[in-house]
Amino acid sequence: MTNLLLEGMQWVLVAFSVPTLVRLLLGPTAADRLVALNILSGLALGFLVLRGVQEGRALYLDVALVYDIFGFLGFLAIARFLKDRMTDESQGGEEE
Amino acid sequence: MRPEHIWNLTRFLLTTGALFGVWLLFSPSLEPFSLGAGLIGSVLLGALTYKEFIAQHDASLGSFMPHPQWLVVFLGVLIFYLYQSSWKMLGAILTGRANPRIVHFRTRLRSDLARMVLSNSITFTPGTITLDLNDDHLTVHWFFCNTSHAKLAGETVKGRMEQHLRKVWL
Amino acid sequence: MMLVREILALLFFASAVVFGIGGVVGLFRFPDPYSRLQAGSLAGTTAVVSVFFGALLLAPNWAIAARIIVIIVFFLISAPTGAHIVARFTWNSGLDPWRPPLQKRSGPDEDTDETERPRRRR
Repeated sequence: MTNLLLEGMQWVLVAFSVPTLVRLLLGPTAADRLVALNILSGLALGFLVLRGVQEGRALYLDVALVYDIFGFLGFLAIARFLKDRMTDESQGGEEE
Repeated sequence: MRPEHIWNLTRFLLTTGALFGVWLLFSPSLEPFSLGAGLIGSVLLGALTYKEFIAQHDASLGSFMPHPQWLVVFLGVLIFYLYQSSWKMLGAILTGRANPRIVHFRTRLRSDLARMVLSNSITFTPGTITLDLNDDHLTVHWFFCNTSHAKLAGETVKGRMEQHLRKVWL
Repeated sequence: MMLVREILALLFFASAVVFGIGGVVGLFRFPDPYSRLQAGSLAGTTAVVSVFFGALLLAPNWAIAARIIVIIVFFLISAPTGAHIVARFTWNSGLDPWRPPLQKRSGPDEDTDETERPRRRR
């Protein structure tokens, strides 16, 4: 029963990530893509936790924790990069 | 020792303590070697980074040390708000009835950390997202706007969250 | 005892499914990034937190349960900050928020221009 629940929830998370990926690819603006990326990282974190509980190994949860921290840092870097590029394109070095 | 020296020492010790706590969290072994390596590392890092970790102008310990019992209460309140506003948001998505606006208001919280936690809590509950936090001035995208009165909007968005936070952080 | 935990976990997982579907639907239904972010925080925050609570209830031993609690605390910090980064990025790129058409609006009718961001000068 427990195993079934965890397995099913993993499939559900995978199912959620498909339309989110579609939004990531379609997204008309960069902000839309960032929204989708944000959701996707949360779903991946949930998937890792479920996997770790199912296998009963604490190591997977350490991976999930580090993934959370570093995914957040990478996300910050992406947003920063996009912002810099946008202000460069609009007119070389505006404010901010 | 002058007061600023004492304050520097306090900041340094707090930074080292926080770093060592994180070390203990990630290496749950209590062997002497592990403990020693963690302690040396956190002292070094603490000496390097305490200036950034706790700003000089934070007046006293009271401005960033939470009251632990109220912190736990606040976490419970936050989870409750999360589910409550999620149901509301779900209804808005299904019916398509929404009135998104951008509202501005001020907060009465004084310490930087408490303001940061308030803006994060506002973002955490669906239906409201903090766009900008500038000293005590918050810019919020609010999904269920029903007023154009800034003070009223602030009271509705912050709700009881600010009152709970005032108990946690002064 | 195990059965009680499983039933509670089932409730949490069911709510995660409901909120996740809502978030994904909102992601495609709303026309601008702000509203999509609002809807997406339903799938990206509420659903994931529910998954964490369900996993916490099903944790086989204390080592795993303690790690899940730490992950929940970190998620409470990192999820809103991530959403705030996106929102701030959108805000700084000068995008006007979407307004629903007039007949659907439930708020006051008069225009509230002070609360809106002035148009970007460029």
